[in-house]
Amino acid sequence: MGVVKRISGCVATATAVKLADVDVICSYPIRPYTGIMSELARMVADGELDAEFVYGEGEHGQLSVVYGASASGARTFTGSSGVGVTYAMEVYSPISGERLPVQMAIADRTLDPPGDFGSEHTDALCCRDQGWIQGWAATPQEALDMTLMYYRIGEDPRVLLPQYACQDGYFVSHILGEVDIPEAAKVKEFLPPYKNHHVLDVRTPQIIGAQMEPKMGPGMQYQRYQAIEGSRKVIEEVHDEFGRLFGRKYNPWVEEFMTDDAEVALFIQGGHAETAKTVVRRLRNLGEKVGLVRLRTFRPFPTQQVRDALSKFKVVGTVDNSVNFGISGAAGVLLTEARTAMYGMGDKIPTVGFVAGLGGEMITHDEFYKMFMKLKEIAKAGKADKENYWLPFEL
Amino acid sequence: MSISPNEVPFAGTVPSPKTENEGMITGSWRTRRPILDTDKCTECLICWISCPDSSIKSTTAGMEFNLKYCKGCGICNEVCPVGAISLVPELDFED
Amino acid sequence: MLEEIKSLRKAPEEEYYVPGHRTCAGCGPALQYRLVAKAAGPNTIFLGPTGCMYVANTSYGCGPWAVPWIHTQITNGGAVASGIEAAYKAIIRKKKTDAEFPNIIVMAGDGGSSDIGLQALSAAFYRGHNILFIAYDNESYANTGIQTSPTTPYGAWTTFSPAGPVIPEGKKLMPKDLPKMMAHGHPELKYLATASLSYPLDLMNKVRKGLNAEGPAFLYIHAPCPKGWSFPADKTIEMGKLAVETGMFQLYELHEGQYKLTYQPKEIKPVEEYIKLQGRFSHLQPEHIQKLQQFANGRLKEVGIEVSVPAQ
Repeated sequence: MGVVKRISGCVATATAVKLADVDVICSYPIRPYTGIMSELARMVADGELDAEFVYGEGEHGQLSVVYGASASGARTFTGSSGVGVTYAMEVYSPISGERLPVQMAIADRTLDPPGDFGSEHTDALCCRDQGWIQGWAATPQEALDMTLMYYRIGEDPRVLLPQYACQDGYFVSHILGEVDIPEAAKVKEFLPPYKNHHVLDVRTPQIIGAQMEPKMGPGMQYQRYQAIEGSRKVIEEVHDEFGRLFGRKYNPWVEEFMTDDAEVALFIQGGHAETAKTVVRRLRNLGEKVGLVRLRTFRPFPTQQVRDALSKFKVVGTVDNSVNFGISGAAGVLLTEARTAMYGMGDKIPTVGFVAGLGGEMITHDEFYKMFMKLKEIAKAGKADKENYWLPFEL
Repeated sequence: MSISPNEVPFAGTVPSPKTENEGMITGSWRTRRPILDTDKCTECLICWISCPDSSIKSTTAGMEFNLKYCKGCGICNEVCPVGAISLVPELDFED
Repeated sequence: MLEEIKSLRKAPEEEYYVPGHRTCAGCGPALQYRLVAKAAGPNTIFLGPTGCMYVANTSYGCGPWAVPWIHTQITNGGAVASGIEAAYKAIIRKKKTDAEFPNIIVMAGDGGSSDIGLQALSAAFYRGHNILFIAYDNESYANTGIQTSPTTPYGAWTTFSPAGPVIPEGKKLMPKDLPKMMAHGHPELKYLATASLSYPLDLMNKVRKGLNAEGPAFLYIHAPCPKGWSFPADKTIEMGKLAVETGMFQLYELHEGQYKLTYQPKEIKPVEEYIKLQGRFSHLQPEHIQKLQQFANGRLKEVGIEVSVPAQ
């Protein structure tokens, strides 16, 4: 049995990194993810974790260091927040292109402006299509479990892809939650040592990342496409095995909350779902048929599972905690992804986008309440008068 | 015509060549061919160390040019201290 | 420990930069690559930041290295090398591999070292990683068709610094002195040297000294570029020699806090003898040439070589 502790999302992630016996860590300070690195630095200084702790010269450097380390056969960890995530943009595609399963924790922060410390998913969503596995944890427990599962998924020889393990800044990264910390021996059983056959080793000399000619381009991209599409099966297997070994069974794709017989539902990802759940519970007590679907894995996007989950409602509202100026539907990525998933279902289910919690503002109970009331209104009218609502100004 | 994903090297990774890279044979670039006057050659190795294409070798039979890769830059002729190397137009040769 | 190479006859016969690459005929950077690989030997991993030595060597899904090689972005050679070094340290210590610690060599161009790659380079040296970082200087962004870089000399034509009626000298700025920047302010630096492909024994021995040093070593290699400088392909070695003989480039090393000139020309020639052979300087007027002479004299004075060609 593991030990149960009250720890933050940052400490939960760092604890998982230690359990994963990571070899090379590269740091650079930016709030709020810094808490993960400070905890890891302490573990290394105290002798709890044997790893090279490299002071990155910036996020671009961080991702570059783990690129080299992973290509040399080391298990690696790095992380960032906000503008740090976008500063490293150049390196994400080479990492997935070389099929190096590095892991990066992202504790979300807004980009500039507004330049505050608040959480917003915009940072991690900016780099969503680079061939990385990506998903959001809603609690510290999930942050720990996700870190372990992502290493296992990414390092699977059928996958070999890097992973963004995301958590909302502050709301998850800095708020304590009860976390069941698994035993090291059990983690060892779950997570075998990292092995990669295309590594830098003078005994088996290889040329990694040679420039290709255009006729090789489509095939190279197709390989990455096959890898991320093929990861779906591995993601399910790993979640099953994790559930068997540690007793925490997650649906890898979506978490449904009080969706039985629900007429309207919100589609959301990340820690704000926990606030929304309390509103769902209260509304249920008042006899309202409302529910919530939380997306757990964003890349690869679980099109079929989202379609199945959302098709039973009369109206779906998406909650986007990011800015996507000029996007189709004028709300955010979740709205467009949900609509794409639901397109062609035959039945027309109105979808409406809510943009909320920008700049790190809380999405309050009252705001979730207003969203559900708007969904009810649309359900009654059979159509929406507007396809998106920016909170708090438009609702 | 695009190459099938199964034939494109995995993650763009290929084994290193051992003694030559046959993926890029450059001998056909040459317009002038180095010819060695073995009587003059002292095997001082200056041409050998100066060749950007690793295309000159010292063998028991003396210095040898690797015409499969030699681009005909002419550095060997230029650095030879005894004038043992000359450059002859490729069109003068039958092969 | 890699032994000193006492003569050309004692230089290793084996090639690790093998024939078969798309570099131009007479390519200076290719020649210095070959010498570096020869000196470093089989226990070596090369890193290739984007630049000529990536593009012209690896086109079409292959490359000319008999040892492991990995591409890095033009920005991050120093950081990727740091990661490789940290990984080997960790996995050797944790007994996750039985490999020997390898020579880790970054082969960056002047852009990938003195310009966009400077941050990663400086950080790797600050952190003290046991790597050899080579900046091969062909004095321009050559792979993209010859654009000015921070090390392009004053007065040189490039496609970004063309000479015209308004700007008669072409490039107006004086070049950045990268070895000087690296020599001062990186306390972990273990070895630093400049070298030229025209002095192959000196170059190979500096590679070995850099690899023998337990920590970061920096080698700055002057590598004439027939295409970018516009001179005939067979004059590469001569151009490298003339750069040193006219004071446009100096050969020295910095080891254990001591600077040492490793080659001193018997007589310094006027810079005009060097630049008149290169098309990139063909537009220069006497007053521009005087500025270049002043530049060369300044650099010579700095390293302690007597200035014998006066500049007006």
